[in-house]
Amino acid sequence: MKISNKIIISLVCALAGLMIAVLFQSNQEPDERDTRDLWEIRSELQVEQKAQQQLYQQISETESVLNQYREVSEHQQLDTLKESIVELKEEAGLTELTGSGVRITITPIFQGGNDNIQEYPTISPELLNRLLNELNTYGATDVAIENERIINVTPIRYVNGKTYVNNHALPSIPIEISILSDNPKRLLNHIEVSQSRDDFAIDDLELSAEIKNNITLPSYDEPIILDELDVNEQVETGED
Amino acid sequence: MWLPALFLVVGIALGLLTNITIPDQYSNYLSIAVLAAFDTLFGGIRAHLEKKFDEKVFISGFFFNVSLAALLAFLGVQLGIDLYLAAVFAFGVRLFQNIAIIRRQMIEEKFILKKIQKFKRK
Repeated sequence: MKISNKIIISLVCALAGLMIAVLFQSNQEPDERDTRDLWEIRSELQVEQKAQQQLYQQISETESVLNQYREVSEHQQLDTLKESIVELKEEAGLTELTGSGVRITITPIFQGGNDNIQEYPTISPELLNRLLNELNTYGATDVAIENERIINVTPIRYVNGKTYVNNHALPSIPIEISILSDNPKRLLNHIEVSQSRDDFAIDDLELSAEIKNNITLPSYDEPIILDELDVNEQVETGED
Repeated sequence: MWLPALFLVVGIALGLLTNITIPDQYSNYLSIAVLAAFDTLFGGIRAHLEKKFDEKVFISGFFFNVSLAALLAFLGVQLGIDLYLAAVFAFGVRLFQNIAIIRRQMIEEKFILKKIQKFKRK
């Protein structure tokens, strides 16, 4: 082979090598840098510690139940079992509950002095959903709308011009919402300044809340169907 | 045959050491250019084995193929058609053909050499 041919092939080889290297480097993903500052790391650590504590607590509770089973006789074992069932039912909302809390009454607002005839206001599922979300964030433990106990899987839907809770239509307003809370006064204060008040006012509805020391919530009396439920393992945006 | 290999290594080292990266949207063009370069290189080796290597054809083929492939990719992006696939296909097929021919030539050469040696021993 002529020397010039060799040099040409070599140069082309070098050029190809250069391109490969550049391509290789461009395709390499940049390693993710940890850009969290001290504060973020600390708060994340705190969240994890809280979770850890909660898990420890759960473990100790379960262990105590287990010990109860082990130590006592069969008859008492049955009692423990029954106790657990009662506890779980209470947690699921299958029992009546009495306690101190807040009662919200939703009443219509009528604007007087107007010639146009005002429609009688109705309550929409979206409003109820928002209100429930707010109540839950403010520390409500158990909620019932009229005679419908709200549990984890309670549907609130709009069907044929009526709002359905637990597959029963709500009566027309005024409607009462009973809420149990560990700290009714705080809950009341939150309700007084809540966004829901404004949202309800847009629909000509007024929320009036008062503290009641003896509220009884009805039980949820339909079977809870969980066949269609699956664990959602998808990580949502912003959670990770 | 060691000089091209050495230069290939030098080229790769140069690219890795200089830390050049190209934006993501242009990596398509570069990948197709690399494919074209490979095609030309193997074509050159094949031509060399067939003893009809021409430096003009080789050099012009290298640059023409690379730029044509990039142009095709560019056109594809503008038109919304994955035209660069056409180039990938063409170069891929030719790459395989060239390598196959190179393999055959090398096997034949060895085979003939062995036969000659056998013949000589007899």
